[in-house]
Amino acid sequence: MSQAEALIDNPAGARSSGSARLDAAAKAAGAARYAGDVVLEGMAHAAVWRSPLPHALIRGARLEAARAAPGVLGVFRAEDLDAGLFGRRVRDLPVLASGKVRFVGEPVVAVVAERREQAEAAVALVEVDLDERPAVLDARRALGSAEVLVHDAPWRYEGAVVAESDGPNLQSRVRHGREEATQAALAAAEFVVDRMYRTVAGHPGYLEPQACVAQIEEDGTVQLWASDKSPYRVRQQLADTFGVDPRSVVLNPILIGGDFGGKGSPTIVPLCVALARAVGRPVRIALRYSEDLVAASPRHPATMRVRLASDGDGRLVALRLDAVIDGGAYAALKPVPTVGLHGMELVGSSYRIPNLYLDARVAYTNSVPKGHVRAPGSPQVTFAFESALDELAAKVEVDPIEIRRRNLLTTGEANPHGARFVELRGREVLEAALAAFERRSGPPGWRTGWGIGVYDRETAAGKTSIRLRSTPGGGVRAEIPVPETGTGSHTVVREGLARLLGIDRALVEVAQVSTGALPYDVGVGASRVTAGMSTVLERAAQLWSMRQGDEVVAEIDGGGDERVTSFCVQIAQVAVDPESGEVRVLELLSALDCAEVLHPAAHRMQIDGGAVMGFGFACLEDLRIEDGQVWAANLGEFRLASSRDAPPLKTVLVTGSRGLGALDVKSVGELTNVPVAAAIANALAAATGVRLRELPITAERVHGALARRGEP
Amino acid sequence: MRARFTLNGAPVETDVAPASMLLDLVRERGLTGTKEGCAVGICGVCTVLVDDRPVSSCLYLCGFLDGADVWTVEGLVEREPELADAFVECEGMQCGICTPGQVVAAAALRLRSPGAGAAEVREELAGNLCRCTGYETIVEAVMRYLERS
Repeated sequence: MSQAEALIDNPAGARSSGSARLDAAAKAAGAARYAGDVVLEGMAHAAVWRSPLPHALIRGARLEAARAAPGVLGVFRAEDLDAGLFGRRVRDLPVLASGKVRFVGEPVVAVVAERREQAEAAVALVEVDLDERPAVLDARRALGSAEVLVHDAPWRYEGAVVAESDGPNLQSRVRHGREEATQAALAAAEFVVDRMYRTVAGHPGYLEPQACVAQIEEDGTVQLWASDKSPYRVRQQLADTFGVDPRSVVLNPILIGGDFGGKGSPTIVPLCVALARAVGRPVRIALRYSEDLVAASPRHPATMRVRLASDGDGRLVALRLDAVIDGGAYAALKPVPTVGLHGMELVGSSYRIPNLYLDARVAYTNSVPKGHVRAPGSPQVTFAFESALDELAAKVEVDPIEIRRRNLLTTGEANPHGARFVELRGREVLEAALAAFERRSGPPGWRTGWGIGVYDRETAAGKTSIRLRSTPGGGVRAEIPVPETGTGSHTVVREGLARLLGIDRALVEVAQVSTGALPYDVGVGASRVTAGMSTVLERAAQLWSMRQGDEVVAEIDGGGDERVTSFCVQIAQVAVDPESGEVRVLELLSALDCAEVLHPAAHRMQIDGGAVMGFGFACLEDLRIEDGQVWAANLGEFRLASSRDAPPLKTVLVTGSRGLGALDVKSVGELTNVPVAAAIANALAAATGVRLRELPITAERVHGALARRGEP
Repeated sequence: MRARFTLNGAPVETDVAPASMLLDLVRERGLTGTKEGCAVGICGVCTVLVDDRPVSSCLYLCGFLDGADVWTVEGLVEREPELADAFVECEGMQCGICTPGQVVAAAALRLRSPGAGAAEVREELAGNLCRCTGYETIVEAVMRYLERS
């Protein structure tokens, strides 16, 4: 057995007797294995020299000292490596910067050494001559002027969605809806709000820094263990980058230490492959967390102008969104065909809005390339839209609840983007939230208030596959293509299969297998794993009942014709200290509609964890990118909510909804992290009259706003 | 320098570089349950017990190891199986990367404050970040462990 084969036996591929998640015992005992834990014989370690400047020409490099340092096996620049450009859709990302650097933190030189410390020590000896150029750091300025071009000809990249005739520094632009009709409706409406909202860059916050181990076999096959959630996509992307057959690239099963979107941006994987090829030994790259903060793929900052209009009763008549989004120095980390943020493009989806128009532009800037983070685009635009809705309600003098009651879609209606769902339960979920709501009191002298936010998200299945094999004793082994990122996806497969086959869960074994072993899977993302796995399980169970041999393979590409969406209504109660501006969330209530729940604990943690992540987005998280530099470059500066910070949570499950397929499921992973910021901003406004249109909502900002009004 | 200490109850005598980190030492000895997170002593992912106190092994210099009593997650769950059981039963985890640190922090909390209530648990675990769970099930797991032991 080769080393690679020995490692393929996935520690998560396990059976368990109880109902607890499959990997619980291994994780609690410290026995669970992640990419950073993989050790291969002869494995070397890589570290990279990163650009200290946001925009500069590379004039040369002095590498002799690094080459002569202890343990060093090789020092490489872009021209030393045989690799093309990398990307999830647009291929514009070099493995190492070539010719010029475009953001602070961009890898320029890679060092491979016997030990990690040796590689890092040698990096400190690298000298690169950089000729600094003016940088463009602001997305609006980048789109408005050709004075600084991040890329000379971005339309030439493979997968580009822009043309030479487009304006400067454009990564992508999505326009949809009816512009003229929307403008006319805005002009004629009785009440209009026209406001700008702004959000900042935030890291996904997974606690496992990105790591990768690459090994090249004698026949050129690339064996990989990477903290990446979309193994089949990465395989194809690597095949494109290196001009090889995808079947010669193998992503091996491994646990992933948190994803939240960021583990779909495998920035280090192509470099790791190129270095393993160059030195002829297995190579490991494990980012230090600071590198991950500075140079991985944070959430896109957005500036959003919202124009929202209603009639005299607060019934919405028109919505226009103009968004300018900072995409950073490369477009490579956005996986969707529009190369945009699909959440942004679904603004207002929960409501009846007869006239809608949106224009969302993503700009190249000289800053860290942005990627997709948990519900990409939705937390930003929901903060903007739901805040604007409250501002409109205040103008119309309608209660914030009442304006939502009047405008939430009901079953049978199409949403403003033309989608039709089997049912629309926004009103029911809203009423359930209100029924569970109980006022909490704040500290003496603090002002209290509550606010609301609403979001809905479609459940979709995607393309995936599965193999079932019989095991001794009447059991079944499910081999699946999706990695366990922590959401409980493997456990959900166990639960679903036990239900469909009518057997005890103890008879079901689940294992992720390598990319060589199953047909294509799109990977973890878009809240699709439970839906996709349920749909393919249903198909596999049918095949299983008719099987000839002792195994079946099932594949699906999407679910059925019925479309389902899930509503989430959140109510935040806050107390605000008028002296300091401190905002304390007294309770965060989440109500959401759900169908069958396959594993209650996993379901609950998606809800709880999402709510706390949403709280972080609202109140804590800011990478503080200034002058093109990430200043919050460690976890002391970039603050993730701790157990002390996390607000008290309350959850209301509005059951009885109709889900997808025989297992009757709805997605849950990207709901409760979305409306929180609007709910808190609306609560703050209710408590103090201060309307913050910029995140995060910090004591400093609130104090400043109160002071400008002559308070305290 | 020469260091004599105990690791998970067993005596160890070895040469260490005084400025190297305990995190790397335990991992190189195959105890990979202890993970590297932020590497600056904030996140708690690398927590181990040294002389019954929780420390960030990413900041703990091996130069201080002589005479120390060190426990990692592997040794603690073997010593106290109910510790891992509580996390399994309450499903106090998702991705699991922070879980070893949470488990060690729970053991440390029992040694320091065995009668801690939920509010104290929340306060004491603030040095062990978790991005996945929202903390509710972790607090429940720690409470169950404290109640049982």
